[in-house]
Amino acid sequence: MSKAVTFDKAFASLEKLVNEIEQDSIQLEDLAQKVKEANVLIAYCENKLRVITETIEQERKK
Amino acid sequence: MPAVLQLSELMGEIDDAIRQRFAGRLFWIKAAITDVKKYPDKRWCFLKFIEKEGHNITSEMKGVFWSATYHHIENFERETQQVFSSGLEITCTVRVRFHQRFGLDLEVMAIDFAYAVGQLELERKQTIERLLKENVHIRLQPNGSFSTFNNRLPLPTVFQRIALVTAPNSDGYRDFTEVMGKNKYGYAFSIQPFFTQVQGDAAATLIMHQLSKVKNQLSDFDVVVIVRGGGSDTDFKSFNSFDLCNYMADFTLPILTGIGHDRNTSIADMVARQHKTPTEVATYLLDGNMSFEKDLLQLKERFFNAVDNRLQSANQQLTYHRRIIISSSPHTILKRGFAMLMKQQQIVTNPALLQVTDEVQVILKDTILQTTINKKESNVESSNL
Repeated sequence: MSKAVTFDKAFASLEKLVNEIEQDSIQLEDLAQKVKEANVLIAYCENKLRVITETIEQERKK
Repeated sequence: MPAVLQLSELMGEIDDAIRQRFAGRLFWIKAAITDVKKYPDKRWCFLKFIEKEGHNITSEMKGVFWSATYHHIENFERETQQVFSSGLEITCTVRVRFHQRFGLDLEVMAIDFAYAVGQLELERKQTIERLLKENVHIRLQPNGSFSTFNNRLPLPTVFQRIALVTAPNSDGYRDFTEVMGKNKYGYAFSIQPFFTQVQGDAAATLIMHQLSKVKNQLSDFDVVVIVRGGGSDTDFKSFNSFDLCNYMADFTLPILTGIGHDRNTSIADMVARQHKTPTEVATYLLDGNMSFEKDLLQLKERFFNAVDNRLQSANQQLTYHRRIIISSSPHTILKRGFAMLMKQQQIVTNPALLQVTDEVQVILKDTILQTTINKKESNVESSNL
């Protein structure tokens, strides 16, 4: 996950995925890939809530 | 040679004169106080009363609180929410005392809180009027609160990087960091303290200085938190300072205050987002993150429900198609009692291709009949089948 991704962006991406699936606009063969993407986004938010990335501290020390 | 008096004799005469004129009398005076030295353990307080014309002191007199009246200072601080310190103007009742060694002073018997509260209220009102007049981004709401550039800024979805403006080793600092650090959800925060004095005459300027440092690294933070401890510290005057409040009102990162008082709202609270105590600010930030996580988990559930529904729907479609295919298969049709006609290994669907004497195969469910056509005629009743 890129550094530039924020909670807002991750949440919005997840919402987009949900809407696409709910509206059947995702091909069945792409579903597994979308589940993978969603899991990455959810894990990203969950981890980021509990782990301050080292980047912040590194930036601060500069 | 004139009669020479012992110093004590002269002082005694002065003492007599003063007693004659002032003994047993109380006077209400209004004066500024300076050089305030409090000794809480002994419950004494020494100070000077002064009166000025411009910058010049025109009258000055020593003042004192003894232990019997020291509680007036504590009451004053509690009632007016400001520290009894140099620079205040007070009204109080005093009695005139003279001591042959320590000289003349005024012993304070009581302080008029109403006057001090009135003065503070006046200063507060003047700051509010000035902010509304000079800061075009501040609007007074019908309920008396302020809408400012700062408190209209949207809050981030999640709070993680916090610029904390507070006094070092203060209750406020400890309370805030403890609640944040020991949160049961395990949320991580990066809290960078910007230490400052938060009470006294210089506090407003010092807080602004720390805020200006935050401003230099805005992108490092999600939010600014200003906290101070409660307890007996009751000096909120700096939080009504025009310069500080004006600076906060236009600050480009959301500011949350937890200035630690229950009764009054300072103007600094009004221009930012007010929470009563440092603990309440911390709880608010934690709740914000919890709310995000709750939304996230709901979305996660919705996502996997949608995936399940999608798979289930695909399965249903597959089942339907399978059923159609099965019901249309020759095997199913033959099982129902129909027969299939083949000629030269080809299924015949067009009777025009069949002639009398043609050899054909009649395929039944379990049987194949080799047969020769000996008659051909129209089936006029087929539409009735």
